[in-house]
Amino acid sequence: MKNKKIVKAVLYGFSTILLVAVGYVCYMYFFIYNKHEVDKKKYPHTVEYINPDKAFLNTGFKVCNEKFIVQYYNPERARYSKGKNGLRQFILSNYKNKNYSDSGYLNFRFIINCNGEAGRYIIHENDLNLNPKKFNKDLVGQLFNLTTKLKKWNPNFTQNEFRDSYMYISYRIENGEIIEILP
Amino acid sequence: MTAVERHNLAEKTFKEGPYFYQGSPETMSRIERAIEIDPTYCDAVRELSVAYLKRGIPHKWKTEMDKAVICNPQIWQPFRGYNYLWFYRDYKKAIADFNASDTLTPNFIDAPQGHSVDYWRGIAYLGLNDYENSIYFFDKYINKEIEDSGEDWVELTAFLYRGIAYYENNNFEEALKNFDKQIHYAKQTADGKYYKALILQQQDKNEKALEVLNEAIIDFNDEFFNERPYVETLRQIYIQDLEQLKETIELKINK
Repeated sequence: MKNKKIVKAVLYGFSTILLVAVGYVCYMYFFIYNKHEVDKKKYPHTVEYINPDKAFLNTGFKVCNEKFIVQYYNPERARYSKGKNGLRQFILSNYKNKNYSDSGYLNFRFIINCNGEAGRYIIHENDLNLNPKKFNKDLVGQLFNLTTKLKKWNPNFTQNEFRDSYMYISYRIENGEIIEILP
Repeated sequence: MTAVERHNLAEKTFKEGPYFYQGSPETMSRIERAIEIDPTYCDAVRELSVAYLKRGIPHKWKTEMDKAVICNPQIWQPFRGYNYLWFYRDYKKAIADFNASDTLTPNFIDAPQGHSVDYWRGIAYLGLNDYENSIYFFDKYINKEIEDSGEDWVELTAFLYRGIAYYENNNFEEALKNFDKQIHYAKQTADGKYYKALILQQQDKNEKALEVLNEAIIDFNDEFFNERPYVETLRQIYIQDLEQLKETIELKINK
C-alpha cells in the first residue's frame, strides 16, 4: 500500500515535470523562435550562403556539415597555414600587373572545410565606391588561380570541434596594383 | 500608433531573437520587420548592413549602411568611417566621414566603436603615410584624454601609432619617447619593443637592441601584440618580422 503511494507520487511528480518541459518548449517554439514571419523569398538562406551549383571548384569538394558552417572569425579563427603575411607574400610575389587599368575590390568568397581544404568559390567585383563592376577578365583569372592555390588552411575550431567556415579574401586594386589584401 | 509607440514596438521587435545567427533568414526578417514598423528606428537600419560587412559582400553592405547614414548621420556617418577604415582600408573615405562628424555634432567628439574620431583619424592618416596629420590627430586625442582623465587613460595604441608615425618620418627621438611610454604602461608589448629595437639597431646600439628584441619575442609568444578582431590591424607585426630583425642584429654583433 505504502509502495503504491510512493509510485503514484513519483508518477505525479514526473508527469508535472514533463508537462512543464513540454510547455516551455512550446512557448519557446511558438512565441520566441517563430514569432516573426521569416521572409523566405528575400532571405532563402543565410546572407553568406554559397550555392554549390553556381560555385567554382565545388566538384569533389566536401564540407563536413552542410547545416553548420560558421564564419572564419568565430572563436578560433580559420587561418591560412602560413599566416596572413605568408598569404600576402605568396600573392604579391606571384601576381603580375599586365598593364591592367582596373581599380576596385575583387573579392573571393569560399569555404574552408573542417579538414582545412578550400573550395566552393564565388567572386564579387566592385569598384572603389563599392558598386558592382566588371574587372579585366585576365586579372580576375590570374587572381582566381593564385587564390585557389592557397591550399592548406587551419580550419575553424568551434564548440570543441573543427568546423567548416566561410572565408573571404578581398583585393583592393588601384590601376591594376594590389594595394591591400583583406581581411 | 503614435511615433513613440512605433519606436518602442520597432525596438522591441529588433531586440527579440538573439537566438539566431547574424545574417540568418530569421534575423534578417526580424530586422526588416522592425524597420517596417518604424523606418526612423536607425539602429535596425544599420544592423541590416553588418552581416554583409563581416562576410565580404561590399555592395550589399554599402547599400544598407548608406541608408543608416541618411537615417541618422550624427551616429552612423562616423561609424561608416570606422568601417571604411578597417574593412576596406579606404582611408580617404574614412577621413571624410570622420570630418563630417565635426560639423554634424559641433563641440562634441564622436567615438564610433569606443574611440574618438581623432584617434581614428590618426590611424587613417598613418595609413596614407601622411605623418604630419597623423601626429596632429594623435596629439589632439592624447592631450584631450590627459586633460580629461589622465595619461594612464590614454589608449596605449595611440602611443604606439604616434611612435610609428614619428619613426617612419625618421624622427627617432620622438618615436622612442612614444614607444617608451607604451612600454611603461603596457609592460608587455611586442610592438613597442620591436620598434624600439629597430631604432636601437639603426643607432648601432646592437647589444641593447637584442635585449629589447628578445623581450619583444617573449611578449609576442605570450600573445601581447597589437591585433584586431575580423581584420588585420594597421602595421601588424608577425613573429617572422621579429625573427628577421633578430638575425640582422646578431649579424651586426658577430661581425
